[in-house]
Amino acid sequence: MTAISILLGFSVVVCVICCLALALFRDFYVRLHYLAPVTTIAFVPLLIAVVIREGAGQAAMKSILVFAALLLINAVLTHATARADRVRKLGHWTADPNEQIPGSSVPRS
Amino acid sequence: MNPWLLASIVLAFCLIPCGIAAFRGSPVDRLLGLEMGGVIVSMFFITFSETLGNPNFYDLALACALMAFGGGLVFARFLERWL
Repeated sequence: MTAISILLGFSVVVCVICCLALALFRDFYVRLHYLAPVTTIAFVPLLIAVVIREGAGQAAMKSILVFAALLLINAVLTHATARADRVRKLGHWTADPNEQIPGSSVPRS
Repeated sequence: MNPWLLASIVLAFCLIPCGIAAFRGSPVDRLLGLEMGGVIVSMFFITFSETLGNPNFYDLALACALMAFGGGLVFARFLERWL
């Protein structure tokens, strides 16, 4: 088993887990978090596999470009989606003064 | 079997859960399926390019990533304001 096979296998397994989690979980914010590992944890091994196979050439440069684009895009898109959901539910996206934020230990004044 | 081809096939099957997510729930829930699908398709084109040995598919992967961004952002803004 070559290094490329191991890297590709890891990348694909992460993608499969995240896609299944997206389809199976019900909570919106839990599902939203499964978008991130695909562009970071799964894409980096794929990128390394491409660089190992192709060397520092056109393919590697384009793969790095796709990775950089997805890395920036995914963060913006995740924020925009979460904001859209909150605005649809509450009418605004900023936190209310008396709002209980799950997981936050800091009391809001 | 070529590992790149195997990865392409598995990534193509990953679109099925994305499709299920895109056909179920509220409109914002469905948007998540679309966004995940865009990323998976970009990765698919990269592995498929290596399978065929044709570097032209890398451009398609980049175009797909950028179009997924535009599409997802427009959907998010529309869902936030008008839909």
